[in-house]
Amino acid sequence: MKKDILILGIETSCDETAAAIVRNGEDILSNIINSQVKIHQEFGGIVPEIASRKHIENIAAVVDLGFKEAGLDYRDIDAVAVTNTPGLVGALLVGLSFAKSFAYTLDKPLIAVNHLHGHIYANFLEHRNIEFPAVSLVVSGGHTSLIYMKDTGQFELIGQSRDDAAGEAFDKVARFLGLGYPGGPAIQEAARNGKAGLVKLPRVFLDRNDFEFSFSGLKTAAMNLWNKVKKGSNCTVNDIAAEFQAALVEVLVEKSIGAVQKYQAKSLMIAGGVAANEKLRTMMKNRAQDEGIPLYYPSLLLCTDNAAMIAGNAYYHYIHGHFAPLDTNAYPGLSSL
Amino acid sequence: MLILAIDSATPVAGVALMEKGNLIKEEFVNYKKTHSESLMPMIDRVLRGCDCGISDLSAVAVTIGPGSFTGLRIGLAAAKGIGLASARPLLGINTLDALAYNIIGSDALLCPLLDARKQELYTAIYDGSYSCPLALTESLACSPKKFVDTALEVAAEQGKDSFILLGNGYYPYKDFFHEALGDSMTIAAEHLMLPRAAAVASLGMRKLEKGEIQDAFQIRPFYIRLSEAEYRLGKGVF
Ligand SMILES: [Zn+2]
Repeated sequence: MKKDILILGIETSCDETAAAIVRNGEDILSNIINSQVKIHQEFGGIVPEIASRKHIENIAAVVDLGFKEAGLDYRDIDAVAVTNTPGLVGALLVGLSFAKSFAYTLDKPLIAVNHLHGHIYANFLEHRNIEFPAVSLVVSGGHTSLIYMKDTGQFELIGQSRDDAAGEAFDKVARFLGLGYPGGPAIQEAARNGKAGLVKLPRVFLDRNDFEFSFSGLKTAAMNLWNKVKKGSNCTVNDIAAEFQAALVEVLVEKSIGAVQKYQAKSLMIAGGVAANEKLRTMMKNRAQDEGIPLYYPSLLLCTDNAAMIAGNAYYHYIHGHFAPLDTNAYPGLSSL
Repeated sequence: MLILAIDSATPVAGVALMEKGNLIKEEFVNYKKTHSESLMPMIDRVLRGCDCGISDLSAVAVTIGPGSFTGLRIGLAAAKGIGLASARPLLGINTLDALAYNIIGSDALLCPLLDARKQELYTAIYDGSYSCPLALTESLACSPKKFVDTALEVAAEQGKDSFILLGNGYYPYKDFFHEALGDSMTIAAEHLMLPRAAAVASLGMRKLEKGEIQDAFQIRPFYIRLSEAEYRLGKGVF
């Protein structure tokens, strides 16, 4: 019988301090997420220095809890995986520095994981037999990327946002409309009580024959529209939220379906914080069904940042022997996919 | 008793190993590579160079600040990873204490200065006449002018008339310091101008003997300053 591979994942790229233990890239034994959302709410958005300060305070307790929940000793794991790109560099460095010395002390290999790959592999924690080639849409506060995967572990960026990430546009528009932070859930909630289509916002780049996105123009259009209609119109802030969400989601859905068709992919995955958006999930499901495309998305808990997805992706590095040296650095930007 | 000391609170990264009060290896770098790249390989080299492993350690000493926020978190995260995985005690050392400890047995007041950017210094004033410098003020983040005023005040109180300045905070303001303090001021030798992991190890040993230990859950950075965002929210107005 094949030996089980247990991997500790550590994730500190943004505002969640997270640790998880995953068996064989599939079974989550523990998944600890210490969210700082409430702290950053006070500032109306993520403050990188505060995120780093919380990570260094919490990291040891979060990792320890990961083992306790899994009922394991530190020495039971086979490797330590950590996000080292992309993200807030100061935040990444806390997790990376901790992971390195923790792995070194236990004499276990270190695995460096790309956060976006982690998001995609969150799907493999809950779904079996996802077929390749596949197309993945990664949508979050930091990214809007369409990725073509010829096979497992192979990532080709086929399009991304030229300006704001989808989640960033949600945050900015929500703040402008006075709906609060974080913007994704705030807009989703407002949109429930509003009606899309009463006013019209642009579907930016939908007419283009590529997989690039742009949300900055949509964001500005939504803000301008609200400035115009709020004085004496029966169109409410909820209607604007609904139309904004509809415009953004339509572009995400159509580009994703288009990518699957162009690349003749056998499956479509969505991932990242914005993949928790109900409208996106429903519309994508309907369109994928129409086109006969198998669609996968993670449960809500695994859409937002977590370490189970990092440990999950690391399994594939482990079986290929892709380990990281002690001088591994953290990189804020998407230097390579 | 074997103590591993780690320091990455300033542009310097250093690692030292001290066995029963004897320094047996020290590595120091003040050049290009980021702490993230250099620190763990240094720890590995220092331990291997002395045929040791983490399991041989009695404790890990680490500078907790003041210093570069990111730099000191890299060192502290490294110490926490070792501390948690090996259940070894951690010894948090003030960076200014470590820097001041480069000099002992002097009648002069010791003035460690770290460049804190934004036209400020991290500093504290120490009595250097003991076998281990004694802090006479709190650790401060202040302007060079405020530092000079504080140093003169402390000197008047203590009946002292000379100062030894050391640390990278000296260089950007040296003309001002010479003007303000004149002949009462001297500068440490160049090899004593930067924090040394060996000094961190010595101070760590004293803490361990006194039982002033922490674990990976407890130990926290000592920033002095709030984050910018907190200042903007008015949290820094005293
Ligand atoms: Zn993410």
